[in-house]
Amino acid sequence: MTGNRAGAGPHAPVPRRGGHGPVNGRKLRAAAVMAGLATLAMLPFWVGTPYALELGITAALFAVLSTGLNLVYGYTGLLSFAQVGFFGIGGYASALLAVDAGWPMFAGALAGGLLATMFGILIGYTSLRLSRHAFAIVSLSFALLCLIVARDWVSLTRGPMGVPGLMAPTLAVRGLGDSDLARLDLNRPADFYGLMLAYAAIALALVHRLVGSRIGRAFVAIKLNQPVAESQGIDPLRHRLLAIGLSALLTGIAGGLYVFHLTITDPSVFDFYYTETMLIMVIIGGPGSFWGVLTASLLFSAVPDLLRFTTDLRMVLYGAVLIAAMLVFPGGFGGWIEARRAARSRRRMPA
Amino acid sequence: MEPGLLLQLLINGLALGVIYALIAMGLALIFGVLEIVNFAHGELYMLAAMAAYFVTSDLHTGYWVSIVLVTAGGFCLGVVLYELLLAPVAGRSFERSILLTLGLSMVLQNGAVFLLTTTPRMEITRYSYSTLVVGDLRLPVLRLNALGLALSAFAILYFVLHRTRSGKAMRGVAQNRAAALMVGIDPRAAARLAVAIGVGLSGLAGAALAPVYSVHPAMGFAFVFKAFAIIIIGGLGNVSGAALAAVMLGVLESLAGGFLPPAFVDALAFVLMILVLLLRPQGLFGRGVRV
Amino acid sequence: MTGTALTGTEGRPLFEVRGLTKRYYGLTAVADLGFTVPDGGIVGLIGPNGSGKSTTIDCISGFQAADEGRWFLGCRELSGRKPHVHALAGLARTFQTVRAYDAMSLLDNLATAAQAHDGLGWWQALRAGPRLLHAETEAAARARNLLDIVGLADHAESPAGILSYGQRKLLAIAATMMTRPRLVVLDEPVAGVNPTMIRRIETAIRALNESGAALLIVEHNIDFIMNLCRTVIVLEQGRKIAEGPPASIRENPRVLAAYLGGSPSAGADA
Repeated sequence: MTGNRAGAGPHAPVPRRGGHGPVNGRKLRAAAVMAGLATLAMLPFWVGTPYALELGITAALFAVLSTGLNLVYGYTGLLSFAQVGFFGIGGYASALLAVDAGWPMFAGALAGGLLATMFGILIGYTSLRLSRHAFAIVSLSFALLCLIVARDWVSLTRGPMGVPGLMAPTLAVRGLGDSDLARLDLNRPADFYGLMLAYAAIALALVHRLVGSRIGRAFVAIKLNQPVAESQGIDPLRHRLLAIGLSALLTGIAGGLYVFHLTITDPSVFDFYYTETMLIMVIIGGPGSFWGVLTASLLFSAVPDLLRFTTDLRMVLYGAVLIAAMLVFPGGFGGWIEARRAARSRRRMPA
Repeated sequence: MEPGLLLQLLINGLALGVIYALIAMGLALIFGVLEIVNFAHGELYMLAAMAAYFVTSDLHTGYWVSIVLVTAGGFCLGVVLYELLLAPVAGRSFERSILLTLGLSMVLQNGAVFLLTTTPRMEITRYSYSTLVVGDLRLPVLRLNALGLALSAFAILYFVLHRTRSGKAMRGVAQNRAAALMVGIDPRAAARLAVAIGVGLSGLAGAALAPVYSVHPAMGFAFVFKAFAIIIIGGLGNVSGAALAAVMLGVLESLAGGFLPPAFVDALAFVLMILVLLLRPQGLFGRGVRV
Repeated sequence: MTGTALTGTEGRPLFEVRGLTKRYYGLTAVADLGFTVPDGGIVGLIGPNGSGKSTTIDCISGFQAADEGRWFLGCRELSGRKPHVHALAGLARTFQTVRAYDAMSLLDNLATAAQAHDGLGWWQALRAGPRLLHAETEAAARARNLLDIVGLADHAESPAGILSYGQRKLLAIAATMMTRPRLVVLDEPVAGVNPTMIRRIETAIRALNESGAALLIVEHNIDFIMNLCRTVIVLEQGRKIAEGPPASIRENPRVLAAYLGGSPSAGADA
């Protein structure tokens, strides 16, 4: 799987991620991605059951969430528990703006994303001055603080009852006349699935572009060997804040959209369950492996439901997997592939 | 406000604070000696409380016996925990250890829910309904016991850390690992002891509080995040700093609870943590150790 | 090229340190140190263990905070600035622990070294327009050239983790060249390598100097320093006890005494 892997950045002389082999290889991969997207887009027409669509929506959501965490932890090396906080802040902001100020969903979601970004930069800037350890703990406390505020600051967030009654808009598609296809009622699961898929595709494309660029290479340099990166003019704080800020933005917008699918936002949007699931996806997929994490997020969205585990048992399993991963294979699937590549290079070296 | 009420709040806060301190000190000790943030610390406290409940209700042991049993059990569990899980990742990246302990906490908490359900249980002991009344003050005997036990634990811990060889070895490793190695201190032994003591302290807290609060799988979760905030406020790795910060927080929470809605009481710890990070990042009492 | 005053101010040295002081827990590691490096010059910094050499270069490259002192590269004061600011001003350095990006290929290692210095911002990096393409192509060509010079061209696409200790030192020197520095601080460039590799590293260092960079070299290998440097500074217990051309240092009685009575030859006092 030749993917966009941290540590295998752009090769000279092509600045865009060229991968291995001739240009044909790149075109082939792009075609494969397009085909995959098209297949996914057609999902509502093949398996239109509400259950399948729900799985699809969840998968698209977690693809964005786990890639956001991958950006911060996998590429930049910062363990962060704040992602769920950004998710919920986006959701609450979007919901409150819609219900109290009549804002449309898209504008609300964007505002939620920007608000999440502000918080991300704030907690990043204050704690990174101290250390990565402090950032981990502060990000954790931030997520918990969000939960407490959502639950207890009733005048701001409506407390445990949350903000119900969120109605997604109906979009009119010009030029297709008056048929059913011409109106996207985002309250319908099939159409909302299309929205989440489109958003996930855009968000992931943006992240892919970023990590394949020299900025992504700088992230990896900071993670691999910060003193060297600093001695070469790379500013670790600025880059870390960029990673945190971008992941907060994408996660916040995702939250701002998703709550309209739930039609309600309440404190459960800050549940630790999201954090645990995201972490599993990133660890198994391989921190710093774009495609690894994406694959893992799709797998872990679909499989547990299909296996029909109860939530507690699923979490016990996740916990056990996490322990095993940390003891035995901290690099995840992507890391295993990277290690094989390095071993092959080593074998090719002259004695 | 009347001095009687103030005194009552103070004493309540003190009782709360020493419990925070038991948990936070264990966390600080483990971080100081191993540089590991033990995510599962709250769950270990919960396990201890569960064990105390079952020991008293199913095995019909007495209150004091249960305390001794569970604390000793916690100590042994700490050794096992270190050898099986923590020793392999102790030298590695900090992220690995935090994720490992997170995994452990997930297994413990959700396992407890799966096996024991979320129904809260109440441990009944012979002190359960006793209250000491001194003038206007009402002092539940169980809380007094907990306070006394905690203070004894502090005294013992202080003695161990400052007067015994093993204790000094732990402090040495915490302050400067390389130097400690050079003078022949065995870091593994120091680490093992630190984890044993840390888990033992949680065990004591769990056993002492099982009859006070209701026992349910999520009880550790709430404490552990406050414990994280406490060790940042006190200074990462600073054991006595953690104790002082914990007691201060307990008292502040108790006082605040008299005036503010409960929501703000919970958030107090985190607000204080953020203030400390902004104004005095090394903690109120300084980093006892490297970070 | 060497000899031309890049500072724009006649007579002013390229790099100047004044009054550098650093204390640890009551111990003074460096005390009131001052020295200069002329444009295109090669200056050696030697001294017995604990003399404060590592602390000095960590401070003047921004990696440790100095308690007192100021230092200037050209007209620009760098005192108290962060390491990456030093780097962007033209001060490159290598590390005693021979650091590289192990998981990246050699070419990527060198490309990363150069990327902060071509003035292109984040937006341009994302747009991937012609300016970026040109900069990356040019950097890649320079990288291949440098790998040729240091003899690592065979492993250009291999991850840096497979290199031997000495080869990593060569890679580190090549990386400093990618940044087109005005001053390069070399931290024990030949420690722990065999004589053949020492010669290769010395060749690389001379090439570095010929490309226009001034050098400040910290080393224990006295012969190496005496052979290469035009000026040698000797530290003892944080203070400068001698400064001058190699010949005069060799005969300086204070220097001889500092090295525990032995003569400063055949280095490697671990």
